Amino acid sequence: MQAKKTLASRLLLNAFIIALGLGMLYPILWLIGASFKPSNMIFTDAGIWPKVFTAQNYREGWKGIGIVGFDTFFKNSFIICLLSAFANAVFCSLTAYAFARLKFVGKKFWFAVMMVTLMLPSHVTTIPRYIMFRNFGWINTFLPIIIPKFFATDAFFIFLLVQFIRGLPRDIDESALIDGCSKFGIYTRIILPLTVPALITTLLFSFLWTWDDFFNQLLYLTSPNRYTVPMGLRLFLDSSGMSSWGPMFAMSVLSLIPAFTLFFSLQKYFVRGIATTGIKG
Amino acid sequence: MKKITMVLLFAAISASLVFGAGTKEQAAAAGGPVTIRWAYWGSGERVTISQKAIELYESRNPGVKVNPEVSGGAGDHFVKVDTQLAGGDGPDIIQMGGNIPDYASVLLPLDKYAGNLLNTSVIDPSAVASGTIGGKLLGVSTGVTMPALVYNKSLLERVGAPLPKTAMTYDEFRAYLMTLKGKLPSGVYPMQDIGVMSSNSTPFGYWTRYNGTPLYNAATASTAVTAKDAQKYLELFADYRKNGLIPPPDVAAGYAESNADSSALIAGKVAIGYLYTNQLSGYQAATTDELALIEFPGAAATKALWQAPSQFYTINKDSKNADETIKFINFLVNDPEAARILGSNRGTPASASARAAGSSSPVDQKILDYMQVAGPHTSPETDHVPNDTEFNSTLFLLYQRVAFGQITPAQGGQQIYELLLRLIAK
Amino acid sequence: MLDLHRKKIWKENLGSYAFLIPWLVGFLGLTLYPMLYSLYLSFTKFNIRTPPEWIGLRNYLVMFVGTDSLPKDERFLNSVMVTVKFVFISVPLKLVFALAVAMLMNKKLKLIGLYRALYYIPTLLGGSVAIAVLWRRLFAGDGLLNMILGSVFGMQNLPAWISNPKYSLYTLILLAVWQFGSPMIIFLAGLQQIPREYYEASSVDGAGRVRQFFAITLPSLSPIIFFNFVMQMISAFQSFTQAFIVSGGSGGPLDSTMFYSLYLYIKGFGFSEMGYAAAMAWVLLIIIAGLTALSFKVSGNLVSYGSGE
Repeated sequence: MQAKKTLASRLLLNAFIIALGLGMLYPILWLIGASFKPSNMIFTDAGIWPKVFTAQNYREGWKGIGIVGFDTFFKNSFIICLLSAFANAVFCSLTAYAFARLKFVGKKFWFAVMMVTLMLPSHVTTIPRYIMFRNFGWINTFLPIIIPKFFATDAFFIFLLVQFIRGLPRDIDESALIDGCSKFGIYTRIILPLTVPALITTLLFSFLWTWDDFFNQLLYLTSPNRYTVPMGLRLFLDSSGMSSWGPMFAMSVLSLIPAFTLFFSLQKYFVRGIATTGIKG
Repeated sequence: MKKITMVLLFAAISASLVFGAGTKEQAAAAGGPVTIRWAYWGSGERVTISQKAIELYESRNPGVKVNPEVSGGAGDHFVKVDTQLAGGDGPDIIQMGGNIPDYASVLLPLDKYAGNLLNTSVIDPSAVASGTIGGKLLGVSTGVTMPALVYNKSLLERVGAPLPKTAMTYDEFRAYLMTLKGKLPSGVYPMQDIGVMSSNSTPFGYWTRYNGTPLYNAATASTAVTAKDAQKYLELFADYRKNGLIPPPDVAAGYAESNADSSALIAGKVAIGYLYTNQLSGYQAATTDELALIEFPGAAATKALWQAPSQFYTINKDSKNADETIKFINFLVNDPEAARILGSNRGTPASASARAAGSSSPVDQKILDYMQVAGPHTSPETDHVPNDTEFNSTLFLLYQRVAFGQITPAQGGQQIYELLLRLIAK
Repeated sequence: MLDLHRKKIWKENLGSYAFLIPWLVGFLGLTLYPMLYSLYLSFTKFNIRTPPEWIGLRNYLVMFVGTDSLPKDERFLNSVMVTVKFVFISVPLKLVFALAVAMLMNKKLKLIGLYRALYYIPTLLGGSVAIAVLWRRLFAGDGLLNMILGSVFGMQNLPAWISNPKYSLYTLILLAVWQFGSPMIIFLAGLQQIPREYYEASSVDGAGRVRQFFAITLPSLSPIIFFNFVMQMISAFQSFTQAFIVSGGSGGPLDSTMFYSLYLYIKGFGFSEMGYAAAMAWVLLIIIAGLTALSFKVSGNLVSYGSGE
């Protein structure tokens, strides 16, 4: 009886998750459908399933803007995003450890300062930032996008990791301290392994948000062979009415794949138990 | 502590790796011949043909390299250019639109090149005039375009409605819309509410010219429009709205008409819309129905239509290679071979030598036919209202307030008038 | 003795600051200057193309009271109202939904990996330009929603949700809630950190699911809930991209989706009033900072950190 009940409730749970998911995914399914419709039917054929099926959008879209193709845009996006994700995970967690666990003069002040950096709309710092990076000679390179991440300028992730580290029981690192472990030792041997889900989150979000960060890429990358995926997508849309919606949809679908794959392969680290091993061992 | 040093060292190494890569690229770019930076907006076809033109030019002029800096839409383009200009790092060629007067202070006057490096003798005088702001030649027209009403020919044929005449008076036009209303199925309206569109200053500008009260005169820095004129414009569309000749405000607002994707015409919700002729090929490409052009009502009697450059090529006043840049612009607008490559993507060529080379697609032919008929019904373009972007955006808001019934046409007319005065004084 | 103690404190501080160095360098070298420069700009008239011109408090005055020559900026006030409404409705909805889905996604099912990834897809779309088209498909007068309401429930004369000023903001709120993936993932990561033993122990005591949720899950998750609340609030106040894309950059119809940041952007880059935009940015900063500080104060009693804090 017991087994039967769990099987039934399990099926019900699965059905519920799938039904809810389908509702939420409808727009995405429409997008995928539209990417296989001929350009002159996208806005006239309302259904998900294309009346006329074509892969032309993918062929045409992949060529990008004629002089530079999407292979280049993807390559550029990958370079920027992988470096950014890695840098954020390393340097934000260093900073977060200091704020969450270490004692030092001015901690509250610096923490408040860090939070304030999150609160200023970025559009008004655009021009001074541009002037600064221009003086560094960084225009038309990936540096204005990547380098700030090596200096933990993304306070979101610092705060995220601070909250996770503060949530860890304090006795473990105190006992390690008594055992003669250095601060850095505690950080690498205790804090890092225990915050794996949060670090994975940081890696993932840094990757995705940098992937999406159209505005900075627009400003700092000027020659088409440096352009990235979101820039390439925007290039399909032209204000004078010459937009290529089909290829834009096709490449939008493709641009979801790396992020989806990354997410799918990383989500297995969200498994209950990782955090607790070692604490109660 | 040792490990901290290691981490910092690692940070320094990875940083310098990235830095190093960057500086190497910079050096390579700087070491070459004369480089012209050409910033424009556009997509697909425009990028491809522009690149072909660049390659042709580079093969003829081995010492020159042209680097395109492309943005998708005009919005992206100007944010980028603004930031670059503020940073003292603007491109050599900047593609401009109707907002060219707002950029007068950062553009290089081209008068000294006219007649030598820039062959202005073959360019239509009206196109030269429209690039002349405050007595100085600041922009070279990329090609000519004209406002037009566009209708869905296939749709009208399907419902058995008569096709519109090319030129009508406002009375005839209203009667025609009433006829259409009787033929069209429910949910499809005779005309789009063209005041809700993002480039709404065009239909309003047309209306003021039709009334003989143009929007702006740069020489006297004044407007001839009165609150009453603006009110009449709002009442014209209020009448259409009341009679179901245009969609209700919330339906109309769903279509910004800034692009084929946001077009009520393409979506099959209306039979008539409006556009600039150079947009026709983009609109036509987005639908299987056939589109065709007619004039705005009343143009034949008042010559209220106008031809305008679809865009301008302008030169940044801080350009280090002004001579080479103007030579390249001359090539783009006047060279027959370049004309064959560029077609009418940036408007129908304003240069006789380029037109002579002409290549015409069926859509281009339709535009030429329209220009043939409507050309005699034009007069010189009205000066652009200062702060063009703000004018469009606020006019759009005021028009919508009237459409949604928040304010009366009389109040709307008064506010439009005050807006004009404020922007002129700004 | 005292000297030794002082030396120890010094060493302690130095060791701690070593961890802070990358961030400090980044803050002083990359973040501080643009921030201060924008503060300076807020006291100027700056059209981007000519150098800034000092005008004192005028930008701030125009925002709130107007000056002798310039009227009060009504569109500014409207953008504040729109944004506040958006924040107060969308943030709680999004958080509750994200937490509910996170708990669902924390179940042990064979396909859970796939489910998690699928549920994250809407968020992956982020600020993609495709969103504008998708949202119009759903909420236009002849959109999917009205088709369903019409054919299933027989409702007629339905509004065009997305372009009707009464409802357009709600379609953006729905968009924000639909992209619930980020807080969901953070909740999911937080759920991993709750020691399983807590639940096992309470099960032995005979506690039901609901009591476990209130007695264990919520308190253990409170630092994460607090984080998500603060961050969602900060980012909701700065919401820009979705409104920009869906309204085609206009904030329409009738300014009903004219978010604060969108108006700031239009003022700065569209109307070439970068000084005014900078002043708006600093006003927003003060609003957000105040609310954040308040949240931290209040959270003192509500958020429980691991033992020892």
